[in-house]
Amino acid sequence: MDRAEIKDRVYRVISQVLKLEPGQIQEDHTFTVDLGAESVQSVELMAGFEEEFDIEMDEDEALQVQSVGSAIDFIARYLK
Amino acid sequence: MAAPKPWPLVEPQAPNLLDEQFDYRLPPKILFDGPLYEEIDGKVVRFDPQEALARDLVITDTTFRDGQQARPPYTVEQQVRLYDMLAKLGGPRGIIRQTEFFLYTKNDRKALDQCRALGHRYPEITSWIRADKGDFRLVVEAGVKETGMLTSCSDYHIFLKLKKNRRQAFEDYLGVVEAAWEAGVRPRCHLEDVTRADIEGFVLPFVAELMRRSEQVAPQMRAKVRLCDTMGFGVSFPGAALPRSIPKLIYRMTHDAGVPPECLEWHGHNDFHKVHINGASAWLYGCNALNTTLFGFGERTGNPPLEGAVIEYIALRGDLCGIDTRMIQEIAQYMRSAGVEIPPNYPFVGRDFNTTRAGIHAGGLRADERIYNIFDTAALFGRPPRVSITDKSGVDGVAIWVNEFLGLKGEERLNKIKVHKVARWVMDQYEVHQRTSAITDEELAVQVKEHLPEHYTRRAQSG
Repeated sequence: MDRAEIKDRVYRVISQVLKLEPGQIQEDHTFTVDLGAESVQSVELMAGFEEEFDIEMDEDEALQVQSVGSAIDFIARYLK
Repeated sequence: MAAPKPWPLVEPQAPNLLDEQFDYRLPPKILFDGPLYEEIDGKVVRFDPQEALARDLVITDTTFRDGQQARPPYTVEQQVRLYDMLAKLGGPRGIIRQTEFFLYTKNDRKALDQCRALGHRYPEITSWIRADKGDFRLVVEAGVKETGMLTSCSDYHIFLKLKKNRRQAFEDYLGVVEAAWEAGVRPRCHLEDVTRADIEGFVLPFVAELMRRSEQVAPQMRAKVRLCDTMGFGVSFPGAALPRSIPKLIYRMTHDAGVPPECLEWHGHNDFHKVHINGASAWLYGCNALNTTLFGFGERTGNPPLEGAVIEYIALRGDLCGIDTRMIQEIAQYMRSAGVEIPPNYPFVGRDFNTTRAGIHAGGLRADERIYNIFDTAALFGRPPRVSITDKSGVDGVAIWVNEFLGLKGEERLNKIKVHKVARWVMDQYEVHQRTSAITDEELAVQVKEHLPEHYTRRAQSG
């Protein structure tokens, strides 16, 4: 799966969980400050990514990921 | 002023968890760097905690006497059951050394007889009577070897309550003590209101005479002295003045009146929230016995809590000393079943004593329970740390609750991602439905069943 496809699917999960239009999301946005994710939503995002990509992430590492772009790269590591 | 000493940061190879004091298997050990000092009569007096710890420090109990003055009477069956549990709690070394009973009603005497019939060596059974020579008949008939008796010593009590003068009180009290000896009973003089008394004008003359007369009797019959801080006025701060100073009061007793530590006992009240620390301080300054009641129930604001003294004892000794700490929970459970209310935040036994609500604390608890638990409460009390779920618990709190509920340990434990649907349900209760109460265990169990059905079924199957 190439990065562009991962990005599309990551945006889709973010828009569903945080109730945002995909156009409101940018790679350099941080989940908490720019996109307004609260504590539970951060965990819901991780759960959404796991389900979308059928992967199981390391929780501590996943919760360290701050921005959308970093999340794309982080997920890409699991899909190699 | 000289420049402050430089303090370079020390980075250890491994975390320094101060194990010498905070051995998680026991209540944190109380260590002393050196002696305690108090200025008395212009002299600096040294109290050595190590000397105190070398003495036979004990806990005594007055649950059935002062404890009953604060509540409707216990039934005979309740007293027998509690006595039996006190014996198990205190262990074979008799850390809970004595307990005292009233003798005035048939039920009082029946309870005493049935407790004695259990055959426990400890707690030894003693009694409590007014300072009335006629009451010795009850003591002798009950076969009790030691009795407490009222020897009130402040002018509030002597003049205003008893309507006597000091000389009359002095002679009457000594007369009752002599009567005890004549009856073959060891007297224990309860110096009521001692923290509001004239120490040099009445207390020292009386106690010194008591000790002088005690020299005429066998050592096991020597009069004991109970220092009764009847209104909770005692203070443990060094430098405080008599009669409120506990260090000075005890020093006066041991050095100026000749009371040996094994004959000296502290009995406090909690009117100023000082009851436990005053009792523990009395141990360190020269009293061997700390008088207590279960959960601190006693006249008005209560007495030193027995279970608090037990934990303090272990913390000072750094050893369980044969104490069965799990009995503390069993006794609390029994008291609750008898209708006694114990506040949820009450130390060691309250419902929430080791329950955390804040998400940030729950996160710490999830990482390592030692971060937010006082000691291994699962091992010592059979009560692992818990989280109570509210909007402040966060996903960390929910994860702990779910793992505890499912009985998952180590690698089996579910991470936060796995419990997110339960956490969402919790948050919606507050954010969407404006809930203001904590989520109950039953409600959470329903959510686990719905969102983690495989785990729920496995738990149900494993019983």
